Amino acid sequence: MTNSRLQHVIPGALILAIALLVTYLSFTEEPAEAFLFPRIISIAFVGLAVWNFIRAAGGMAKVGRGLAMNDAKNLMPGLIVMLILVFWAAKALGFYISATLAFFTVYSIYDPAPHSSTKDWIKRAVITAAFMAAIYALFALLLKVQTPRGMFI
Amino acid sequence: MEFLSYFGGVFEPIALMLLFAGTVGGLILGATPGLSPTMAVALLIPFTFHLSPTQGLILLGAAYTSTVAGGAVSAILLKIPGAPANIATALDGNEMAKRGEGARALHLSFLASGVGGVIGVLLLIFLTPLLAQWALKFGPSHLFWIAILGVTVIGSLDSKSFVKGLLSGCIGLWLSTIGTDDIMGADRFIFVDALSGGITIIPALIGLFAIPQVLDMFAKGRVSAVIDTIDVPRYKVFDSVKELTCSLRALSIGTVIGSIIGLIPGVGGQIAGLVAYDQARNFSPQKDKFGTGHPEGVIAAESANNAMVGPSLVPLLTLSIPGSPTAAVLLGGLLIHGIFPGSDIFDKHPEVVWTFINSMLLGQILMVIFGIYTAAWAARIAKAPIPILAAGVLVLALFGSYSVGQSMGDVQIMLALGIGMYILEKFGFSAAPLVLGLILGPIAGDYFNNGSMIAAAQDGPWVYFFTGPLNIILIAMVVASIAYSFWTNMLRASFTKVPNSEAAK
Amino acid sequence: MKTLMKKALLSAAAISVSATLALAADYPDRPIGVAVSYGAGGATDFQARIVTMVAGNEDILGQPIYILNKPGAGGRKGWNWFATEAEADGYTMSAYNIPHFVAQSIKGGVKYSAASFEPIANWGADPAVVIVGKDSKFNTMQDLIDHAKANPGKTTTSGAGLFVGHHIAALQIEKACACKLAYIPTKGGGAAAMKAVIAGEVLAGVNNLSDAFRAREAGNVKILGVADLERNEFIKDVPTLKETGLDVDNSSVNFRGLMVKKGTPQAVIDKLAAQVPLMFAHARVTKRMKAGGSPMKIMTRDEVKAMWAARETTLKDLLAGL
Repeated sequence: MTNSRLQHVIPGALILAIALLVTYLSFTEEPAEAFLFPRIISIAFVGLAVWNFIRAAGGMAKVGRGLAMNDAKNLMPGLIVMLILVFWAAKALGFYISATLAFFTVYSIYDPAPHSSTKDWIKRAVITAAFMAAIYALFALLLKVQTPRGMFI
Repeated sequence: MEFLSYFGGVFEPIALMLLFAGTVGGLILGATPGLSPTMAVALLIPFTFHLSPTQGLILLGAAYTSTVAGGAVSAILLKIPGAPANIATALDGNEMAKRGEGARALHLSFLASGVGGVIGVLLLIFLTPLLAQWALKFGPSHLFWIAILGVTVIGSLDSKSFVKGLLSGCIGLWLSTIGTDDIMGADRFIFVDALSGGITIIPALIGLFAIPQVLDMFAKGRVSAVIDTIDVPRYKVFDSVKELTCSLRALSIGTVIGSIIGLIPGVGGQIAGLVAYDQARNFSPQKDKFGTGHPEGVIAAESANNAMVGPSLVPLLTLSIPGSPTAAVLLGGLLIHGIFPGSDIFDKHPEVVWTFINSMLLGQILMVIFGIYTAAWAARIAKAPIPILAAGVLVLALFGSYSVGQSMGDVQIMLALGIGMYILEKFGFSAAPLVLGLILGPIAGDYFNNGSMIAAAQDGPWVYFFTGPLNIILIAMVVASIAYSFWTNMLRASFTKVPNSEAAK
Repeated sequence: MKTLMKKALLSAAAISVSATLALAADYPDRPIGVAVSYGAGGATDFQARIVTMVAGNEDILGQPIYILNKPGAGGRKGWNWFATEAEADGYTMSAYNIPHFVAQSIKGGVKYSAASFEPIANWGADPAVVIVGKDSKFNTMQDLIDHAKANPGKTTTSGAGLFVGHHIAALQIEKACACKLAYIPTKGGGAAAMKAVIAGEVLAGVNNLSDAFRAREAGNVKILGVADLERNEFIKDVPTLKETGLDVDNSSVNFRGLMVKKGTPQAVIDKLAAQVPLMFAHARVTKRMKAGGSPMKIMTRDEVKAMWAARETTLKDLLAGL
């Protein structure tokens, strides 16, 4: 089995597993009336998942490049910032503080400009501040959205 | 031609000021991720407390038309559809922006919105009594079939693989059933607590479209010489107008479909853009160009979702039935001034109703002028360096998805869906059919349940869902649509043996 | 080291206590949100926006109130969110709908009950009415009941959902006439249920008085009876269901008001309980509510507490057999 074929077989199998789980739940959970529509969907879901899996296993699935190791390595730091932001920092530190930190971190990580010069660091800080000021003006002042305040604001 | 005699009301100084404020404010609100037209109009209701009924409605009318068009801005520049109506716009519009043609895409989208919008409002002016009766003809069984008709579009929508398109749609349909069901109140598929409220459509839209794009930017790593930051050329308005007149097919398909779908209460403008986009592609000789940044895709989608604005108010004004959530908010705007819509509203309060309709007409034109004026400036956003763009979209996604319902659960679902979609996209699945499933799932499911209950008290489901001229027409359209997409996607592919892998790159 | 730690902890605790006290004294120092469990434009949302419009006046709360829509699952989604996720600091209130949330908590499957919330005040009471289309062959409740008796389970009757005021009224009618209707809960709340009646998809409907009143003004429906103890001032010519010979009381009347989460500081509750009824009674509010055809009924915190308790008992009886 080639690498690319394996790349398609794994998600195909995962989706098939989800489809089977959904079908199982749809036909066993109560009350039956509420699951009437999910049942219809789940049958189509399983059918298509099987079809997709067969195509993947037979090497007929060619659309999509799959995940590349290099991409994964590149996006990992950003992804970690995202996860920390959404699942912890936004609530614990407050929306504006955590978003400022996230913006600055992501920008700094992926900025090609040298990380040794002070001038570039100042530029990053200024752009972050300007962007967050715009966000604050839009959401807090204009739309009056109340965001979690956490420890700060 | 009665409406012409009330045009004077719109040109009073205060009214004109409100018209400007409504249009400009509406464009900004519409362009903000997470703010749907419904929420934007609801936000403006308190301002109308201090105004006369006519003035209040001028503000709301102008804001309604321009928020719908404003959603295209973030869809094109950031690939964050402001509302379900703008999903189809993002497909080609964002590709154009990435090529540096953001200004052109914005011009076309505003012009197409304006044309569609004006025609929609004209329909409202001239055909209201006729259309009102027609809008009432759609019962649960018909709405169910219309939703299914929407589902049949899934297989061919923005997907290089027919099976994967259908499968994406199925995943979307299933995701839509998560949460407490609307009628029975039973819990379905709640694996983690954050899901107990179900998947809210706007955070889901932000996650499915914006997050994969951010991750794609991350995946490029620390790129120094960025190819994507091409110069954004200034685009001449005259050229855009000329281009629009050359794309009459897409424009008319969009306008006609938008008007018809807008009229049907309960389905609303959510799917108008997507259906119009799909049909415009079906009728186009350059099918393959759709999805790669084809201007006709933007034109069809945007003309449809603004054409739906006028007709969607027909059931509201004549029968006091709001056909869409936004219409329901506008009903509130009428009621607080003691104006009860009904078949006699045009006789009882002509100055209010006609001024309102006229303000939508002028609002459309103002929106085009203002939109085009700022397009060149706004298009620079797409030129921002990748790290700033990625960080900015991430922060906007956080705030946008939170402000919909002020729930951290929504934000977490947004991110989870986004990461899942990134992985799925790498294997050839796409977001558009998934979102279409997510939108149509509740519509189809609830009308199915609703219809089944009525059928059980009458002659049974067979008679209720499968007889009557309107049902049969809709079923015929469903069958034709399935047959068509099956033929084009399966048989043609196997006859011509197009090497799929090449097309994917 | 240990004592230092202890000291730090103690002072931290002291700060947080004084912060709580200060919070109550300054309350409110920022805008207050009101979560509405129904969509923008629905009757609850529309009325909530009107009754809170003068909150920013210095003699009321001095801070504006904004509306947060959390529609879904007949209100369950919004109240579940309020009971589990909202903070009990008085900066997030919720609009309640009685009998909806009490009936849902009795039926089960939700994360709240009347004990999860503290009422503040009531602003409105919207009785359920029985309506039929303008061309319907039914002209009185008796016609409708006769049809239901002759065709058990075939008289399709639309309403906004299961275990909401409309459903309670339909259940009470069925109990009183010893007949069987076919209650159809519609997606999209009262407006969709109304459309089903006007379009003739169903034979009859139970709907809000305020909406039915407007629909009748527009010449789209006939109103056959009001599920309340007395006739309503908006529609004086329509008899109560009691007058038509059906033993139906006011259990289905849709009471709307504001509540906070259990655990909110007492000082905050007291302040709200004193100020919110003033807000509801403000002349600008009552004028707009009247213009919109929305019946008002202002009740204080104690009155609402008694009403909640009374509803809970009657609803438990009514729903026991289901």
